[in-house]
Amino acid sequence: MGYEQLANKNPLRILKIGKEGANELGLIMARAGLGKTALLVQIALDAILLGNRVIHVSIGQSIEKTRTWYDDILRHILQAHSITRPHELIDMVQRHRMIMTFKEASFNRARLEERLNDLIMQDIFKPNCLVIDGFDFEGTDRAAIENIKEMAETMSLQVWFSATCHREDKRFSSAGVPAPCHEVDDLFGTVIVIKPEENKIRLNLIKNRGEVQTTDAGLDLDPTTMMIKKS
Amino acid sequence: MKKDLQKVRNIGISAHIDSGKTTLTERILFYTQRIHAIHEVRGKDGVGATMDSMELEKERGITIQSAATYCSWKDFDINIIDTPGHVDFTIEVERALRVLDGAVLILCSVGGVQSQSITVNRQMTRYKVPRIAFINKCDRTGANPNRVTQQLRDKLGLNAVMLQLPIGLESDMEGLIDLVTMKAVYFDGDQGEKVRYEEIPEHLRADAEAKREEMLDAVSMFSDELMEVILEEGTPSVETINAAIRRGTLSLQLTPVMIGSAYKNKGVQKLLDAVNAYLPSPTDVENTALDLDKGEAEIVVTNNPADSLIALAFKLEEGRYGQLTYVRTYQGEIKKGDTIVNSRTGKKVKVGRLVRMHADQMEEIEEAGSGDIIALFGIDCASGDTFCADSINVSMSSMHVPVPVISLAIKPVDNKAQVNMSKALNRFSKEDPTFKTFVDHETNETIISGMGELHLDVYIERMKREYKAEVEVGAPRVAFRETITQRADFNYTHKKQTGGSGQFGRVAGYLEPLEEGEYEFVDAIVGGSIPREFISSCDKGFQKSLDKGKLTGSPITGVRVVINDGSSHAVDSSDIAFQLAAIGGFKEGFSKAGPVIMEPIMKVAVEGPSEFQGAVMGSINQRRGIIVGTFEEGNYTVVEAEVPLSEMFGYSTVLRSLTQGKAEFTMEFSTYKQVPRSVSEELMKAYEQEKKNK
Repeated sequence: MGYEQLANKNPLRILKIGKEGANELGLIMARAGLGKTALLVQIALDAILLGNRVIHVSIGQSIEKTRTWYDDILRHILQAHSITRPHELIDMVQRHRMIMTFKEASFNRARLEERLNDLIMQDIFKPNCLVIDGFDFEGTDRAAIENIKEMAETMSLQVWFSATCHREDKRFSSAGVPAPCHEVDDLFGTVIVIKPEENKIRLNLIKNRGEVQTTDAGLDLDPTTMMIKKS
Repeated sequence: MKKDLQKVRNIGISAHIDSGKTTLTERILFYTQRIHAIHEVRGKDGVGATMDSMELEKERGITIQSAATYCSWKDFDINIIDTPGHVDFTIEVERALRVLDGAVLILCSVGGVQSQSITVNRQMTRYKVPRIAFINKCDRTGANPNRVTQQLRDKLGLNAVMLQLPIGLESDMEGLIDLVTMKAVYFDGDQGEKVRYEEIPEHLRADAEAKREEMLDAVSMFSDELMEVILEEGTPSVETINAAIRRGTLSLQLTPVMIGSAYKNKGVQKLLDAVNAYLPSPTDVENTALDLDKGEAEIVVTNNPADSLIALAFKLEEGRYGQLTYVRTYQGEIKKGDTIVNSRTGKKVKVGRLVRMHADQMEEIEEAGSGDIIALFGIDCASGDTFCADSINVSMSSMHVPVPVISLAIKPVDNKAQVNMSKALNRFSKEDPTFKTFVDHETNETIISGMGELHLDVYIERMKREYKAEVEVGAPRVAFRETITQRADFNYTHKKQTGGSGQFGRVAGYLEPLEEGEYEFVDAIVGGSIPREFISSCDKGFQKSLDKGKLTGSPITGVRVVINDGSSHAVDSSDIAFQLAAIGGFKEGFSKAGPVIMEPIMKVAVEGPSEFQGAVMGSINQRRGIIVGTFEEGNYTVVEAEVPLSEMFGYSTVLRSLTQGKAEFTMEFSTYKQVPRSVSEELMKAYEQEKKNK
């Protein structure tokens, strides 16, 4: 389709995501309301522009709400870049994305795998990337995440999670990943923590494809549009 | 005549088919003493419920047309619009929602939130209609109002809060507990007409207190006063709680949930109390109109009876007494003998008889105030027209009218049927803007088009029943369209010299895709290469070309035509010569402009047990559908998809056999999209063949 050029302009390129063989888990953490879903959707759209198929798993949200996120972010992308045939891009995104929503209680690996196999076996949709928004890290153990990691490896999937952290919880891993993910951070190749600073929302890149980062990635979220930008 | 607008309620009753809205309406009319006997929808007495005024509805047990009816409950005037439950009649629902201030969303306590409720809820959200949920049929086996309330939260995303608890369920349902007043309510008498209040039965007290706490928690978000009382551990008054619920409901952030069984005469009076207490009056809702004298600037209607009249004709009905026009007034008053202006046509009309409707009986009135819903007799207009006083020129903002997506050829069986058929079609197309009819001049067939198979089926049935017009029906056809994908130049000369005065005209310019809108004509001629008087002839010629595309003979849309050069002849140029030159030019340009076929895409929602999700997705995939998403809760799944209409014929049968009849689907028009190449080739081949056969 030739949207790589557009993807190359994405500030996300600083991260080593979307490369071949990137079947690792990614994690986005923030307190409630800081833009986890916005960032996940931008990662998903970036994957789509690079030619991947994405399944967006939304736990506890409606299809419509999730879809609205995509529409909004895509509209910002269309506004920022002059795209000759916007409808083609919108259409392409729709064909490369599927939303799966689950009630909190009904989500687990077995069910997800069954659904993915439904799609793959019937040749309906073969995803390369999975984003899981609203996963309950506080109520799950390490084994459950290992389980999904294993599934990602067997199915050759890139998987991104979002997790909510809390201001009052001061537990951190040695690499600096806050609770509730501080004890499972070794399972994730890439970890981004969204942090509000004065007039800014910073993207704090803690791990990038397995490497613990010591320097600032220089990325922000625009507080009005929730779009990623260079600081 | 009561004038207190605070005590007027214009409400709709919307729901899934078979969740009992007609029965509920019947009970409401009975308890408000508008009728004096109760008939069931499918009752043995053969009379049928009062709101289903059409024969066909009586037979099918479903409500097709919205009839407005008036009643009065505890000093409040309530106008009820009974809205249809099937998506194929969407325009009816949407039109009704436009004139409503609030609504009651009925749900079946067994079936819960079904796909239909999702659609109706979406429409209510679009028109910002505050609503109360009524969980009906609590007497049925498997009734579970708690589960339905949870579904309201999960599937519809509503902040649903139960204001009542049942005392017993299924066949043991005795009455209900009102969590606001903390009283048990029983409905005595043969038809539940005597409401008796008692103390809450001991075995339910603990549960009721817990639920009340939950309710107060949710409701206190809308009232600081209530929040304070609760924080101080005091007992809030009924008025304070009701005021908070009302505020939450009006802001669309809270949906009070009432329960009952209309069929068993339980809970209806309490629902009416809730309508009075929680749903908005006309003054609580902001409605806007367009000022036609000020370039359609938006103005807020005042609801003030002293201001100039603004009223919207939202429904036409040909009853046995002649044409009835249902009207909602937004400001000012209508009086018998007044002269009012139809702002679309500019025609003045005199108000003859003015009536308040009660299903198909009526009550003559002298005047109607602002915010009222009434009917006028013998007024010639189309539905959606605005009437206003002579002193102003406004139109209520235009209603969103979807384009028809499916058509059928119909042929009357004999001469008598022919006459009756045209009468029927004339009336249907006036009543329903999504129903269109025309004669295809090439085949001489009468074509009807609408929003879905069922939509057209119902009109064909009505033709038979109400107009005695027997017709033969052709196979349904999808309304394809053609458009262009790139800019292309044209330069065409029309020349004819066959004795006498000849014809001459040359038109040059280009066509280009138009992102929004159907057609645009741009005159970029400089230096008069086409004389002024023939510019409109060119426009006319281009517009004629839009009727039939060359690929499938479908209408062409999304084209901008720019003319920038041409030439004329002092004697031989004429209106017709330039029209023909434009037609030729369009043909030339269209072929080079990458023409494509567009087809209607439907938004489809299939719901059923999760075990069939794979099969459902497979069936959608086979139909060239794109799965937008899935929603899963326990053992129940909804699959949302976009599927071309042409692939949806016969889908209900396929779905039934795939899922042992356990899944159901709804669809509504979403957009037009380009047909894939393989399908497009087939369509073009079929069109060629059709042309050859003629």
